[in-house]
Amino acid sequence: MASATIGTSSTARSTVNWPCVVAWMLVATTALLLSFGALVTTYDAAMAVPDWPGTFGHNMFLYPLVEWFWGPWDLFLEHGHRLLGATAGLLSLVLAAVTFRRGASPAVRWLVVAAVVLVVVQGALGGLRVILDDKTVAKVHACTGPLFFAVATAIAVLAGRQGRGESSGSTTERSEPVLHDPFVAVGSLSLPLPSWAVGASLPTALAVAAYLQLVAGAQLRHADATLAPSTFRWMVAIHLAGAAAVTVLSALTVIAWQPHESRAARRWSLTILAMVMGQLLLGGGAWLFTWGVPSWLQEAWAPAEAVLARSPRGAAVITGHVILGMMILGAAVVLALEWGGAERLERIARFGRQGRGRSDGTGKPLSGAVALQTRPERGAR
Amino acid sequence: MNLTTSADVRHARGQFPAWSVKIVLALLVVIGGTGCGATPPAWFRLNMVEATKQKLTPDQERQVATLMTAMFGTPDDPVALPETGLDEAKLRLAAGPVRSDIVGRKNGLYREHCAHCHGVTGDALGPTAAFLNPYPRDYRPGIYKFKSTERADKPTHADLTRILKNGIPGTSMPSFALLSETQIDALVEYVKYLSIRGETELGLMRAYFELDDDAEGKLPETREFLVGEVLEPVAEKWKAAADALIPVPEMPADIDMVASIAKGRELFYGDKANCVKCHGPTGMGDGQANDYDDWNKTIVEWTKEVVGTDDKQWANRAHRVLDGDSLEPRTIPPRNLRRGIYRGGRRPLDLYYRIHAGINGAPMPAAKGTVPPEDIWHIVNYVRSLPYELDGELGADRPMVARDRF
Ligand code: HEC
Ligand code: HEC
Repeated sequence: MASATIGTSSTARSTVNWPCVVAWMLVATTALLLSFGALVTTYDAAMAVPDWPGTFGHNMFLYPLVEWFWGPWDLFLEHGHRLLGATAGLLSLVLAAVTFRRGASPAVRWLVVAAVVLVVVQGALGGLRVILDDKTVAKVHACTGPLFFAVATAIAVLAGRQGRGESSGSTTERSEPVLHDPFVAVGSLSLPLPSWAVGASLPTALAVAAYLQLVAGAQLRHADATLAPSTFRWMVAIHLAGAAAVTVLSALTVIAWQPHESRAARRWSLTILAMVMGQLLLGGGAWLFTWGVPSWLQEAWAPAEAVLARSPRGAAVITGHVILGMMILGAAVVLALEWGGAERLERIARFGRQGRGRSDGTGKPLSGAVALQTRPERGAR
Repeated sequence: MNLTTSADVRHARGQFPAWSVKIVLALLVVIGGTGCGATPPAWFRLNMVEATKQKLTPDQERQVATLMTAMFGTPDDPVALPETGLDEAKLRLAAGPVRSDIVGRKNGLYREHCAHCHGVTGDALGPTAAFLNPYPRDYRPGIYKFKSTERADKPTHADLTRILKNGIPGTSMPSFALLSETQIDALVEYVKYLSIRGETELGLMRAYFELDDDAEGKLPETREFLVGEVLEPVAEKWKAAADALIPVPEMPADIDMVASIAKGRELFYGDKANCVKCHGPTGMGDGQANDYDDWNKTIVEWTKEVVGTDDKQWANRAHRVLDGDSLEPRTIPPRNLRRGIYRGGRRPLDLYYRIHAGINGAPMPAAKGTVPPEDIWHIVNYVRSLPYELDGELGADRPMVARDRF
């Protein structure tokens, strides 16, 4: 869906960009997979099935669908999470097959390798969490999930760019933020923007911050009951500081990208800011549903009823907080890669061997699309 | 040409790959770091505040820990001696790590629903406790606020069940009405278990003080002493709760409500009941507000003792315990009665219990003895009218509202 918002005048071609299609399928599956994972944590359903890799002794895929779907809620979540995990694993393999056959760019290849490794590790971690019934493993499992999601999203974006690069090769202007002079007009204001504020740095920082925020959140959600309150207080403080950082970064991105030539880029950055605002609300909601009204607010607002534990509304808010966090990460990855970061990533993937400073003498470095077109694999043309 | 400029800007910052790799490495370390060392099995913490208060030696602490495990088992494997009157099958449903059994029934209910606030030991030192105001209940002293029994008595099974179903409005204690009867029943049993366990632990620690010299600082490890002298008196009080209900006279059906409220108001502001002392002339809790509840008072008084002591070694240890095993003491404000939020329930009967017996553990005193039972109904009626009391409607002097105080 994200590729749709980027929509350019790519001319219709008969061949389907399979890496891109499969990658977006993987992104969608992973989004559902992570949502189920988040629900498993919300409902403490991880140990609904005592064994692994089987489900109650059945081969996972052969466990009766009816029993799963109409069984206990916890079982529905946990077994559903497993089925989706297996699907994501298989899709990753398919993705590897199509990308490597299609002769993808180094960055995509590295990312696909990373995805396959991550999905295998993640599956094993999920299994260990059940076999050892260990909360520490659960924490790591919860951190690897969004990382895999980010990698899948990156693959989808890069594969999409590669496809468009093939057909139009006109991504050059679109992917370069236009910097008329160091003083860029922001609405009627004129703010001096330092050079680091332009390009993919801010969205990259945003993606990193969004990821770290998911890691911090996972530590809160999986906090062991024996943890000292003083430690937990620090963890909450870190999560709140992270929220501030993500908010500031997303706002800065909007400001810095205001003069961006591409309307899609501007919109995308605004969308992220809106998501972050929503995320702050959900975070506040999650606080209310788990810990009640904080004392400084009680004077002004005290509901006459106690919070209902495990209410569907509460579960939706708390789980939604996790899911939206993951969506923010994905959106930041798209923003970073689609407008400026992709070339950089390609350069990193080549370990700087070709990319850096490789210009055609006009002082104009090769943009991602151009670079891709000159790759030997494209010799078929 | 603009393009060239911006590209050059980015080009000049060619260091990006190096630090991005560093970031990835740092991330892996962070994630890996949390993964090292599996979670240890849950354990019951020793009541360190009491142990330090009683100046127990490390050997004595170890003895208490061993005896406690022998008598009560562990969080994953609870034991209920017959003298406790507890049902071990129920305890097993509530204890242990969270998991489902073969029919999809959830086990480990306490750790799923309660431990992050009340702590695995029931010591109110769960990870989230510092964020909650009031703090969660520490079950170990066996003191409960909202019950149908006299102030000094234990709550009944039904009282605790009500608390679990309704939660405590105005605090972070949630309602567990969505759990099944069986689950709530198991959880209530487990709360009692943690309470009896905690009180027994207190009893053991205090028993060292009364030891003879020839006991060499060791408690006798006989059933007669441990169960007969320490555990049983505690368990008996819990068993007696069901027969200690507060007798409540029927409120006359034909009661003249306006007159009753006026009478209640008189009592509220009068010398005998003297509710005004704490709940204030406005009823908004603006009276005496610098008091502590029993749980916080323990810490406050002990801190004073630690500060005043000459025994530096003990004081150092005590300070460490205070840091690790207690939360910053907080005062307990008298309730603002104009909000109509009643933590112990809003039925007239609930308020009758509260006013008759006071609130155990909190400064709120019992009216029993000073106010005859019929008059307590008048106070109940007045308290219930407080959120709606309007200008000049009841008596000449208009009660103050928040705007007036401003
Ligand atoms: C979000 C934190 C939180 C959770 C979760 C929680 N409690 Fe509480 N609980 C509290 C707080 C706070 C109080 C103290 C309220 C007060 O002092 O008025 C309390 C008080 C209590 C009391 C004392 C009532 C009385 O009459 O004194 C009991 C019993 C209790 N909780 C049982 C449970 C059980 C059982 C569970 C799990 C099913 C549970 N609580 C889950 C926060 C929590
Ligand atoms: C020594 C101070 C003090 C006096 C005297 C006092 N109260 Fe309270 N009252 C408190 C405190 C403190 C609380 C809050 C307890 C808590 O939060 O657990 C409270 C709570 C209450 C509540 C709320 C109960 C609930 O379920 O939430 C009511 C009702 C109440 N008091 C009525 C009265 C009446 C009526 C009188 C006179 C008969 C009275 N109080 C006298 C201190 C006092």
